[in-house]
Amino acid sequence: MTYIDKPPVPNVVKFDEPMATERNKLEVMLNTGSDIYQGACKKRGSTLKDEYRHVSGTAYMDPRDMTRLGVKNWDTVLVKTDWGEVVVYAAHSRDAPHEGQIFICKGPWANVIVSPETYCCCDPTYKGIEATIEKINKEPLLMADLMAAVYMKYDKDAEKTTNRLTEKRINVGITKPEE
Amino acid sequence: MAYEEPIRDYDELVENCTCAFCGCNCDDLTYLIKDGHVVGVRHACRLGASKVMEDMDQRLLVPMIRNDEGNLVETDWDTALDKAAELIAGAVRPVFYGWSETSIETMKHGIKLGELVGAVLDNQATICHGPSLQAVQNAGYPVNTLGEVKNRADMIVYSGNNAMNSHPRHMGRYSAFPRGYFRKRGRFDRTIVTMDPRYTDTAKMSDIWVGFEQNGDYEFYNAMRAVLRGKKLKKDVISGIPKEDIEELVEAMKTTQYGSLFFGLGLTHTLSKQRSIDIAINLIQDLNKFTKWNLVPMRGHFNVNGFNIFMAFEMGFPYGVDFSRGYPRYMNGETNTIDLLTREEPDVFMVIAADPGAHFPGGANRHLTNIPVIQIDIHWGPSTELADIVLPGSFIGVEAAGTSYRMDGVPIYMKKAIDKPETCRDDEWIVRELHERVQKIKGEKIASK
Repeated sequence: MTYIDKPPVPNVVKFDEPMATERNKLEVMLNTGSDIYQGACKKRGSTLKDEYRHVSGTAYMDPRDMTRLGVKNWDTVLVKTDWGEVVVYAAHSRDAPHEGQIFICKGPWANVIVSPETYCCCDPTYKGIEATIEKINKEPLLMADLMAAVYMKYDKDAEKTTNRLTEKRINVGITKPEE
Repeated sequence: MAYEEPIRDYDELVENCTCAFCGCNCDDLTYLIKDGHVVGVRHACRLGASKVMEDMDQRLLVPMIRNDEGNLVETDWDTALDKAAELIAGAVRPVFYGWSETSIETMKHGIKLGELVGAVLDNQATICHGPSLQAVQNAGYPVNTLGEVKNRADMIVYSGNNAMNSHPRHMGRYSAFPRGYFRKRGRFDRTIVTMDPRYTDTAKMSDIWVGFEQNGDYEFYNAMRAVLRGKKLKKDVISGIPKEDIEELVEAMKTTQYGSLFFGLGLTHTLSKQRSIDIAINLIQDLNKFTKWNLVPMRGHFNVNGFNIFMAFEMGFPYGVDFSRGYPRYMNGETNTIDLLTREEPDVFMVIAADPGAHFPGGANRHLTNIPVIQIDIHWGPSTELADIVLPGSFIGVEAAGTSYRMDGVPIYMKKAIDKPETCRDDEWIVRELHERVQKIKGEKIASK
């Protein structure tokens, strides 16, 4: 049994409005959270495996948004926010319709692009983040590769500017003077 | 989903085990055991079964330390514990984060260690239900137990959570479906309402779905309170919900016999944070003028509530307790893990039974690359990729016994079913051992002065 099985959803979706055209980039609102596939895979401990990349590194989109962007199930997309950028899979959401919103399960992929801003309320803003989404021809990284590419903790030669997190830091985070 | 044969090949059954996944703490599981491993679980949901029948490929079995090349190499317990104790004893601002997937008995030693070195003790509430606990301090805690819900409730509201995905047996065991003393017909005697911007799996099973818009929870609850107090709404549509619908819903909530509101992270993670919970609690208080209503936060891990109750009992504060001044201190936005990490304050980070690599925003995890990280866990996870010392613990509820608190605050003793792998140790033993070793190092320092 795998956790990649999803309830079948149609691959072809027709636009309601016939004049709508395909776009290269969509502006969406990003929500993160958990679903049962991600929870089961994570807590079973299968985080190094390919199935974790599929259950956690997937942007669930409204089928109409997917048609607008020209992506099919399990095509790859690049999601960008103020905090970073990450390549994930795209798949039809089971909770559709929710046009203009995407949902990425919590996990190392979503972490790169969510906001650490807590507004002094201890809880980072995991939901309702403005993001852009575009089609890309790259595979999402597996968990271990992603952790290495993003945080570069044990890569001595790495220049930290080449990681996938933006330089943006929240106001309280500045301990060194900005140059 | 393909049909799977039932498991008939097992040596023994262990009955009445407690599930160690979510805050439901279902205590009716049966483990099927063969050759000292759990090969099957009865009565558990998909989540519980997947965790109990763990993936042994990624099980951490021996203590490991990073070498100079940045690879984790196996070592013995003495070396790993000494190294960890040395780091903790020499730290100026250590943070001990996690605790939610371990037992209260382990936390007892954690507090001793934290007090000794002046650490910050924090748990997963800081990234999930922290705002709920702040709201409880602001507005009160009209809580009930899940047994009351089962026997009495005829209206159940899920707000900002997806119980069918994150607490799959919640509806089946405690709220919607079971037959209770006053609800003899089970699901037919109850009305289920789901309030969520998305049409989630829980919403699909409900009688009423209230799809208010994103970040619209605060306004929506305020509108409900206004209607409840007999005010006329001036706007026609509030948070995407027509005002007639709000009036109808409030009327339905007023005329129930016993209602229960379950709220989840949809309320705490949006911009209004603890204020949306404040207003939900106030709504419950207002409803109690007409009929009986209560609420329960949908806690995620099986013992996340346990840490909060235990800390509040022992130290007076539920989470984010800072011992750096020698006495417990708690200040939101200052002594919480995410804020400490984004300010780059901690110099040693100990993760126990948690996974910041998988759950912290990158902006917070960024600081974990600058400092040594000690991990006590059972599986190789995203945090192991950032950890410098790895100490393999044991699985509470399966390999070790312990006490945990359910989401409604009921303590449950989780019994042991199988033996742990020989090279692993109990979480309790590891933390006690760290405490003793740190105490020894501190004692030597004082003696040499």
